[in-house]
Parts: sequence; structure tokens; C-alpha cells
Amino acid sequence: MNRYPPKKTGNGVRNALLAFTAASLVAGASAASAGVIKVGVSLRMKTETGEKYGQMVADEFEAINAAGGVNGNTIEVKLLNDECKSDIGVANATKYAYQDNVHLFIGSSCSSVSLPIVDVLHKAGVPMLIPHSTNYKITLKGSPWVFRVPISSRFSAAAAAKYTAENIGTKIAYIWASDAASQADAQKFYEYIETYHGELPVYAEQFQEGELDLRAHLLKIKSLKPEALMISAQSQDFARGLVQSYEVGIPPSVKRIGGSAASNRPAPILSGDAIKGVFFHAAFSFADPDPKVQEFVKMTAERYGVANPDHDFSQAWDSVHVARVAFERADLALTDDSLAADRAAIRDALGTVTGYVTLGGGVVDFCADATPECRDGNKTPVLIEYTKGGEDYELRVIGKTTFDADFGLAGMEEEAMKLRESLDN
Amino acid sequence: MDLLLDFVIVGVSIGIVYGLVALGISLIFSGLDIVHFAHGELYMIGSFLGIAVISFTGVPYFWALIGAMIITGVLGVVVERVFYRRLTRGGGGYTVAGMGMIICGFGMSVALQNVAYLLWGAAPHPYPVSFGMPIFLGNIALPKSYLYILICALVLMTVLHTFLTRTKLGLAVRAVAYNKDTSYLMGVNVPVMISLIFGVACAMAAAAGVLIGPINYVQIEMGYLMLLKAFAAAVVGGFGSLPGALLGGILVGLFETLCAGYLIASYKDIYAFLLLIVVLMVRPTGLLGILVKVKA
Repeated sequence: MNRYPPKKTGNGVRNALLAFTAASLVAGASAASAGVIKVGVSLRMKTETGEKYGQMVADEFEAINAAGGVNGNTIEVKLLNDECKSDIGVANATKYAYQDNVHLFIGSSCSSVSLPIVDVLHKAGVPMLIPHSTNYKITLKGSPWVFRVPISSRFSAAAAAKYTAENIGTKIAYIWASDAASQADAQKFYEYIETYHGELPVYAEQFQEGELDLRAHLLKIKSLKPEALMISAQSQDFARGLVQSYEVGIPPSVKRIGGSAASNRPAPILSGDAIKGVFFHAAFSFADPDPKVQEFVKMTAERYGVANPDHDFSQAWDSVHVARVAFERADLALTDDSLAADRAAIRDALGTVTGYVTLGGGVVDFCADATPECRDGNKTPVLIEYTKGGEDYELRVIGKTTFDADFGLAGMEEEAMKLRESLDN
Repeated sequence: MDLLLDFVIVGVSIGIVYGLVALGISLIFSGLDIVHFAHGELYMIGSFLGIAVISFTGVPYFWALIGAMIITGVLGVVVERVFYRRLTRGGGGYTVAGMGMIICGFGMSVALQNVAYLLWGAAPHPYPVSFGMPIFLGNIALPKSYLYILICALVLMTVLHTFLTRTKLGLAVRAVAYNKDTSYLMGVNVPVMISLIFGVACAMAAAAGVLIGPINYVQIEMGYLMLLKAFAAAVVGGFGSLPGALLGGILVGLFETLCAGYLIASYKDIYAFLLLIVVLMVRPTGLLGILVKVKA
């Protein structure tokens, strides 16, 4: 009986020493490998909705940290509001690249902001993951540092145009706001109709972003009696145009069509009943019965009080998780000296992300080449129709379609070359 | 022909709104010899207050218009008494105080916009009122909101005109506008009249804000462009002339809508300033420029 206590004591000392040694080794090893992955986020957080999806991005990264981080590394997120203004967006990107030394930039919401940021981050050598911007020129510039989660306008506008031509008609009037996303949406839409159906626009004019009175355009359109009217603009300009189109007497039989920004929450809230029957293209619909979507909708309702999240929410969420996949795959040293190598490793890891299924059901497939085929990840736009406007707006999904990676790129070689030249200057 | 009539209806409706804001600018100029650069923000705040009145009390649109005018008028009096009084005492025009007042107006514009941001946020707000489908007269659509704008604006201007020309208080206001020192000597309470001018001018801006609300949306940045158009209207009509402000507003609204309709619609905002340049070249005092000399 007395044999065991001394032996046990001896084992205890030995075990304690072993435990101490092991703990020291583990701690040492952790100290050597644990680092901080810095992520700079710049989004349009001008409104409450924007603030909420911005907060969601920060919260999602925090949740990854709480679950043990990525390969033992933690993610540090900085969040800035660019107000959808290119000068502020460029200032944010510059600060992140040269002052905060981020490893990844996520942004921006607006194409007009993302376009100049591509140049800044290309020169700085910082990978850029785009959560919302849809203008096709962003990836056509050919920067190896750029990856896009949302659907390029060359896919989404074509899907809407195809549906319009087959179900409504080809006699279409277009007005679009001066921002880059709206321009690209309208341009790709009428190019599709012209190319595949040989019909020129009945009316095609641009207006200034924030223009209060669109009635001069709309009265002209009314006199031309089109079959459909496309208003491609950011949500509040879109809503204004939509309401004014009824005011000037364009009959309800003329189908109203929105661009991608028509999906943003303010559009149905500002338009009220006028938005009923309007369809648009997007990457996601909260009306999708998919359990994954409904779980996401429940999460945004509980955490952020948003019961009908738009695709800005879903794509922000997708962007975080695409970034997480890349961080898991990247071989990161995360020291001061390894910043350039770590940025390049994250870029290369992003290029290997394939088969990521977004909340909207589209699949993000990136590859290494700095081409739109490789960098426009999601190629599956969803066509959605409003069935009710106002705060409690309702939607129905009309359909989804997936395009080939090179769709819409034919004949764009010259434009691509010019954009690349501007990138290198 | 139908299209021309459509353009005229739209041009007059927006022109009257420009005219209402221009009226306030002209009233302040005629009374104090200053140009008030924060007037666009009072138009914006008036519009927000209209929504607030409807939301909190549930009263019909017309009473929201009156409510917003009263509250904004009082706000204008407070702004003038608290912030502008020391400067306006020093005189307007090309005096140092007059220049100070211009800078102060810019500062007030930024301050008011930020106050509105804190109260209502940056998101645009829809007006909680519906006028339903327009009235169709053949192919011409006449939105009920435009009729409302026309009727309300005409009533307001008639009331203002009657007030200025048929009441003792109006006479005192005109006396102050004409010559403050003489008015003092005649026993007019000049500081009170100046506050009254400010209050009435701000109430007019609020009326314009509430009337335009259902056509557009209300947001904190809405005042800037309206201020520019209203300045154009005031200058075209003759700065300091109240009938001129209304005439200028309608002319600017008509000219820009017709040019946008028959030329290129994308340059709509440019046409208003083109008219301004042409009028200044031909008649530098504005269309009713003779009245500028005697003001209100």
C-alpha cells in the first residue's frame, strides 16, 4: 500500500516537468505561428442598412476569431464608410494599403468607387475582394489583385434583357444614372437587345445621380409608347424615376425594369406601391425557400432587425466566407517583413477558390489568370419581381440562369486594352 | 401639342416651387440686404418637419403644410435672433458685417444639415401621402400633386401679398426693408420686423419643401440644388423683388423643362443657369429689376 505514494509523487514531479516543458513548447510554437491577418473594409455605410451590413462583416470575422481563428491566426478588421464617393473610397484604400498595411481589402459597394480603387491597390499590391460592385470594367482592367464575388453586369443585365425580349418585348426605353454600375447595367441591357434581337433603344439617355426631376425624360418616353422602361440607377434615383413615371402618365402596361440597385432595401420602401410588378436582376432573394437562405434571413432579423435583407447583405456575408477560405489556404508568415509575400499568398489563395456556393445559389469560381473569366466569380444572376412595396415589401423569384465565363466578352478587346493601359500608367 | 402641354404643366409646377424658395431669399435680401445661403437647408428641414407632423399627429397633408410652415418659421426667428442678430445689426450689403453674414450663412447651412442628419439620418424618406393616379385630360396627365402645388402656392402668395400691402404690420415690414433708420424714427420696432421677415421667409421655404415632398423624397442633401435654382429664379426675376421671384421661378422651371424636353434632357440643370446668364447679359437687374430699387 505504501509503495505507490512515493512512486506517484515521483511521477507527479516528472509529469509536472513534462507538462511544463510541453506547455512551453506549445506556447513557443504558438508565439511563432499566431499572427494577425489585417482586413480593411470600405463600404457604402451611408444609411442604416449600410451600417448594418458593415457591422455584419465585422461580426462575421469576429465569429471566425471566436471559433479559433484561421490556422491559429486571428483576423483584425477595420471598417470605413466611403459613402459611395470615389474620393473617399480611394482615400480609404490608400490608408489601408500604406498606413494600416492590410493583407486584404474588401470593398466597395459602388462600382464608381471600386473602379479607381482597383488602380490604387494594383500599384500597392493588395488583394481586393469586391462584395457588391457589378460594373464589368472592374475585372476587364485585368489587375491580378482583383476578385469579384457579385455578378458582373455582363451576366446580370443580359439575363434581364433576355427575359424582357422573350416575355415583354424589345421596344424599350432606357434612362440611367451617371454612376458606373447604372451605366453598365443599361449599356449591357441594350447591347444584348441590339445584338440578339436587332432592336435599337426607343430612348436612351443618362441623367445625373441625385437628379430631382426626371419628368422631362419620362414625358418624352411617354410620347414614344415603349413596351418597357428600364430605369437603371441607385435605389433612391430609381424609386424617384419609378414614381414620376406614373405621375407623368406612362401607363401601367409599360413594364418597369430596374438595374441591380433596384434590389436595395430603400427602393421598395421609397417607391411604395409603384414598385409592384417591377423586376430586376440580383444575386439573392430573401424569398428563396432554400433553408440556407431562410436561416440567413432569420439571422439578419434577429441580430440586425432586418427581416428582408437584400443582396448587399448576402454578398457581404459571402465575401467574408470567401476570404476565410482563402486565409485557410494561404501560407502566411504574418511578420512585418513578410507583408508583400503574405498579400501575394492571399491573392494566390483567392485564385484557388472554386465551388463556393453563395447564399443566392450561384457558385463562385475564381482562377489564377487576371481575366474577367477568372475573376468574375459568380455567373448566376437571379431575376426577381416585386409583388408588394413599402417597408414590408415582398418578392418572388422569376428564375435563375448561369452563363459561360466568357459570355459578353466578345468584341471587348479594345476596351480591355485601354483599361489595362490606364492601370499601368 | 399634347407633349408641349405636358412640359408646360411640369415646368410650371416645379417653377412655382423654385419661386416659393426664391421668394424667401428675396424677402430676406430686401429686408436685411443679405444673401442667406442656409435657405436651402431650411427648405429641407421644413420638408422633414412636414413628415414629422404627419407621423406624430396623423393630420392631413394640408395641416402638415401649415404645421411645418409655423415650426420652420419659428426656427427661422430663433436662428436670426441667436446667430445672425449681431451681424445683421452691423448692416448688410458690402459691409464687413454683410460679408460676415454670407460666411455665417454657409456655416449655418452645414450646421443645419448636420442637425438634420442627427435627427433623421442620411437615408431618403418617402412622403407619407398619396395623391393617387393623375387626372387624364385626353393624352395629358395632370397629377393631383401638381394641382395641389399650384393652388397652395397661389394661396400663399396671395396671403403674403395681402399681408405686405394691406396690413399695418406689412407696411412696417416694407418700411424696414426700405430704410431701417427712418423706420426706427417712425416708431417701428425694427428688430421684431427683421425677425418677422426671417420667419416668413423660412415658412415659405418650408412650404416649398412640403409641396415638393410627394414628388421627390426628403433627404438631408436636397437643399443644395434647390438653393441654386432658387437663386437663379431670384436673379432672373430681379433680386429683392417679390413678384420677380415668383416670375423668375416659373420662367426657370419652364425654360429648363422645355429645353430638356426639346433639346437634350441630360443637361436639364444647365439650362436654368443658361437662362440666368442670358437675362443678366440683357437686363442685369433682372426682369423686374426696377422694383429692386424700392425692394418689397
